[in-house]
Amino acid sequence: MNKINGEIYMQNKEQKELLVRLGEAQNKFGYLSEKVMIELAESLDMSISDVYGVATFYSFFSIRPQGRNIIRICKSVPCFLKNSQVIIETVEKEIGIKPGETTPNGKFSFHLTNCIGVCDKAPAMMINSEVYIDLTPNKISQILKAHK
Amino acid sequence: MEQIALTINDRQLSASSGMTILEVAKENSIDIPALCYRQELSPIGACRICVVEVERSETLVGSCHTPIAQGMVIHTHSKKVLQVRKTMVELLLASHCGNCFMCDKANICELRSIATDLEVGLPRFQVKKRYYPVEDASPFIVRDLTKCILCRRCVSACNEIKKEKVFGIAYRGFDSKVVVDFDQPIDKDVCRDCDVCISFCPTGALSKHGEIGEEKKGEPLIISG
Repeated sequence: MNKINGEIYMQNKEQKELLVRLGEAQNKFGYLSEKVMIELAESLDMSISDVYGVATFYSFFSIRPQGRNIIRICKSVPCFLKNSQVIIETVEKEIGIKPGETTPNGKFSFHLTNCIGVCDKAPAMMINSEVYIDLTPNKISQILKAHK
Repeated sequence: MEQIALTINDRQLSASSGMTILEVAKENSIDIPALCYRQELSPIGACRICVVEVERSETLVGSCHTPIAQGMVIHTHSKKVLQVRKTMVELLLASHCGNCFMCDKANICELRSIATDLEVGLPRFQVKKRYYPVEDASPFIVRDLTKCILCRRCVSACNEIKKEKVFGIAYRGFDSKVVVDFDQPIDKDVCRDCDVCISFCPTGALSKHGEIGEEKKGEPLIISG
């Protein structure tokens, strides 16, 4: 019964660093390779499956190489009510790929994401770490051109 | 250890501090069904079948992981509790593959057993089901994730009892899955002569090779309601 207060799984100090270390690796390499995840698992004394589990849970981590620019369009309800579907379709048309894909030239990866916290300025999207708000189809082509 | 006075189903009880509601209930022969909870493992409150009503608490609480407190008034089988519990099982069944009559564990399946006790009937919800290929690469274990209900007992059992870390949970939401390494079919040497996870699996998701038919001998479990 002491398990409630006592030894709880995955609580040693090193393991708490996992998220930070995954973030560093993601920034450095652009994605989390199996090699990186194996190294992290070893140095933090964790199983590979636990590292893989955390890496695949967070949508801002990717386990496959990504394009140079990562487009994330919000798929949550407030953006949906402000016609995010039109924005999604416009981006699809402009860069010629569907959500979850990367352009053959490696310029763009395109994902749908959950709320990015700017519902009052919906519809919104992110390209890399920049947030773009109050989107219209016209704005999309300008924004994308800046990244080409 | 400090004694705590509490009331469960109108019975005045006393128990040591640090115990969970489920433990106190069990000690006093009050049966609260639970799927992810096992005495030998740390409680994680994943399945929500063991929820109970605690007066003055905004929501129902998972009894397996909620410690008792002085003066708690608990109802384990109120109308509200039973309704929620039934719905939880219904949801589990709705995304479960549902081929019970083809399943070797049908008559000893804990999910089916709880569904039978609670008389959940046919699930009202039509949801996408998760289908995965059966993994039989390992000579020690057969894994059929189509039957997995994500109770995480295999993960805890492997970690806490066998002191190995074969399993992890990956992906998110409906895609959540018990994975081995980088989501590879299970085939590990540490599984040699070990059936800890198999013995903890409440459904037919984990089994040994070639034991087909043995479990069919249990009393048939018919879900009415």
